[in-house]
Amino acid sequence: MLLDDLLRRRLLLLSGKGGVGKSLVGTAVALAAAERGKRVLLVEIDAPKEAARFLEAPPVREKETELVPRLFSLNLRPRGVMDEYVRRMVKLSPIADRILGSPIYDRFFAAAPGLKELMVLGKIMTLEEERAGWTGKPKYDLVVVDAPATGHGLSLLKVPIAAANAIPVGPIGSNARRILTLLRDPKKTGLVIVAIPEEMAVVEAAEFHRMAVDEVGMHAVAAVLNACHERRFSDSEEATVLRLSRAGATGRLGRDVTLDQALVSARRHVRRRKLGRFYETRLKRALPVPVVTLPFLFREEIGRAEVALLAERLAEA
Amino acid sequence: MSRRRGKPAEALRAALAERRILVVCGSGGVGKTTTAAALALEGALRGRRALVCTIDPSRRLATSLGLSSLSGKPRPLDLSRMGPAKGGALYAMSLDTKRTFDALVERYARDDEAKKRILGNRFYREVSSALAGSHEYMAMEKLLDLSGDERFDLVVLDTPPTRHALDFLEAPDRLLSFLDASVLRYFLRPYFVAGRLTLKVATKTGAIAMKLADRFLGLSFLEDLSEFFLAFESMYDGFKERAQKVHALLRDGRSAFLLVASPSDAALGEALYFHERLREKRMPLVGFIVNRTHPEPSAGPTRRDAPKPDLPASFRDRLLQVHEDYRTLRRAEAKAIGRLEVDTGQAPILVPELESDVHDLRGLHEVGRALLPS
Repeated sequence: MLLDDLLRRRLLLLSGKGGVGKSLVGTAVALAAAERGKRVLLVEIDAPKEAARFLEAPPVREKETELVPRLFSLNLRPRGVMDEYVRRMVKLSPIADRILGSPIYDRFFAAAPGLKELMVLGKIMTLEEERAGWTGKPKYDLVVVDAPATGHGLSLLKVPIAAANAIPVGPIGSNARRILTLLRDPKKTGLVIVAIPEEMAVVEAAEFHRMAVDEVGMHAVAAVLNACHERRFSDSEEATVLRLSRAGATGRLGRDVTLDQALVSARRHVRRRKLGRFYETRLKRALPVPVVTLPFLFREEIGRAEVALLAERLAEA
Repeated sequence: MSRRRGKPAEALRAALAERRILVVCGSGGVGKTTTAAALALEGALRGRRALVCTIDPSRRLATSLGLSSLSGKPRPLDLSRMGPAKGGALYAMSLDTKRTFDALVERYARDDEAKKRILGNRFYREVSSALAGSHEYMAMEKLLDLSGDERFDLVVLDTPPTRHALDFLEAPDRLLSFLDASVLRYFLRPYFVAGRLTLKVATKTGAIAMKLADRFLGLSFLEDLSEFFLAFESMYDGFKERAQKVHALLRDGRSAFLLVASPSDAALGEALYFHERLREKRMPLVGFIVNRTHPEPSAGPTRRDAPKPDLPASFRDRLLQVHEDYRTLRRAEAKAIGRLEVDTGQAPILVPELESDVHDLRGLHEVGRALLPS
C-alpha cells in the first residue's frame, strides 16, 4: 500500500512543475496521514498559505497551527527563519536587535546566494528532529514539505551540497552536511514527485527525479499524477462521441444544451482522459516508483470536501 | 496602464511590432514558456529577427519548440515551412548562468591575474553555478547583452515563476548592494588586510557581526569570501554601469512586460501581485494573457424544437453531465477573470485550451493566432 510506504518516512518532500497542484496534493497527503492517526506537520515555504485555505481554516502564520485534528501547518518565511537563527545564536537580545536592525544584515540576507535555502532546510531538519517534552518521542510523526517548483526545488536541494563544499568548517558548513545526511537517508526521507497529464509536467518530473537522485543523492518514494480525467464513457461510447462529433450531429439534448455543444465538451473530456492514460504510462516508464493518479475536480471552489476526497484516493492507492 | 477595455490584442500587436524586449511573467504552470515562444514565433513570422530566451532552470522551452535541448548559444530554428515574412527569423536559447557570470568577470577584471583569482575562488565557483539567486542576477546581465546584439531586433524573455521573477527585477539592485564597496570595507576587509582574524571594524555592532560570521562560517570561508569581494571591488564600477543600463532598459520605450495566468484564483492573484510591483517600479505593461480557458461551445444550427437525438438515455445523461461539469469550470474561470478585470480595469487576452498539447512550431502558431486574432 502506497500510503503505508509514505508513512514509514519521517520527511516527505513534494516537488513538481508549477501549477500541477502540489499544494493541494501535499494537503491531501497530510490529511490522509492525519486520518491514519499520525501527527503531521505540513510545511509551506514562503507560500500564500494554501493548505489553510483548502482546509477552510484561518490563514496560518509563522507558528505551527493545528488545522484539523493532528494536522499542523506552518508557513516558513526565510527571513523569519534567519532572524530566529540569529536570535538563538546571539543570546543577548539587545545585540541581536542591533544586528537584525542593521542595513548590512539586510543586504547580506537579500543578496547572499543560497542563504535563504540553507536556512529553510535547516529549519525543516530542526522540525524533523524536534522531540515532545521529556518523552524523547518525535513531536511529529511525519513532516510534509510543499517544496518549490521543480527548477527552484532542485536548486533548493542542491544548496547544502554547495554550502558543504564552500564552507568546510564552522556550524553552517556542518549544518549543511547534516541536512544532506537527512535528505539522503532513504529510511527517513522520501521525494514525492507531482505531475499532471501534460507533456512538460511529465518531462520535468522525469528530469527532476534523475537530477535529485544523481546530483543530490535523494530517493523518490512515489509519483502522483494529479488532475486525471476519469472515465465517464465506455470505449464504444467514446467512439460514438468522436463519430457524432465528426459527422456534425445536431439535436436538442437538454433544456439549454444542444447535442453539438455537449459533443464539444465530451470530446474535450475524451481527449483529456486518453492523455491521462498516455501520460500515466509515460510516467510509470520514466520513474522507478509507484505512480498514483488523482482525479480532476470540476468544482467552482476547492475546499475541505475536495481535499478529503483526494486523501481517500491516496489511502486506497 | 491606460489601455482601454476591449483592446488587449491591439496593444499586444503593437508591442510585438515595436518593442525590442518583451518580458513574459507569471506563476508556474500557466503556459508562460509556451506564450513566450509563441510570441517570438509570431514576431518572426511578421518579419522580425526574434529570439526567445528562458531563464528558468528547468528546460521547458526546448520541449515547446520540439527540441531536445537548448544551450546558452542562440540556436536558429527552421521556419521555412511556416512561411515567415521577409527578414523574419527565430532563435532560441536558455540562460547559462555560469558562463554568463564568467563572461562578465572576463569583461571587467582589471587584468589576467584578477580574472584568474576570481574564476578560481571557491566561493565564486559555488555561487556562479546552479545556486538559486545567481540565475536572476545573470538573467539581467544576459538581457542587457542581448539587447545590444545586432542579430536580433526582438528578444522575448521567459522568466521563472512570479515570486522568483520579482527577484529577477530586483537582481541588479541587489547585486550592487551586495557588492557595494563601502559595505565590504565595513564588513569583510579586516580579514583580508590582516590575513588572519582581526576585528578592526568601525563599530561595536560590526565587531559582533564579524565574530558571529566567524562562528557561523569559519575563517577559511571568510577568507574566500573577502578575497572574492576584494577581487570584485575592482569590477564594481563596471557592474554598476551595467546595472544602471538594465534599469534604464526596462523602463524606457524598448521594453514591455506581459503577465500570463491561467484562469484560476491562485494564478490570477500572482499576476495581480506582479502588476502592482510593476506599477511601483514604473515598468511598462502590455497586458494580461489568460491561457487555457474553456469558452462555451457555440450552438450549431439546431432549432429550438429539434428532436432529441436517438441515443440511449444513460449515455445522454452522461453527455449532459460532462457538459454541466465544463460549465461549472467555466463559472469558476469567469469569476476569477471578472475579479482581475475589476481590480485592474483591463480585459485580458483569453486563449482557449487547444485541442492538442503544444510541442512544435505548428502548435505554437496556433497559440499565436489565439493571442493575435487576425
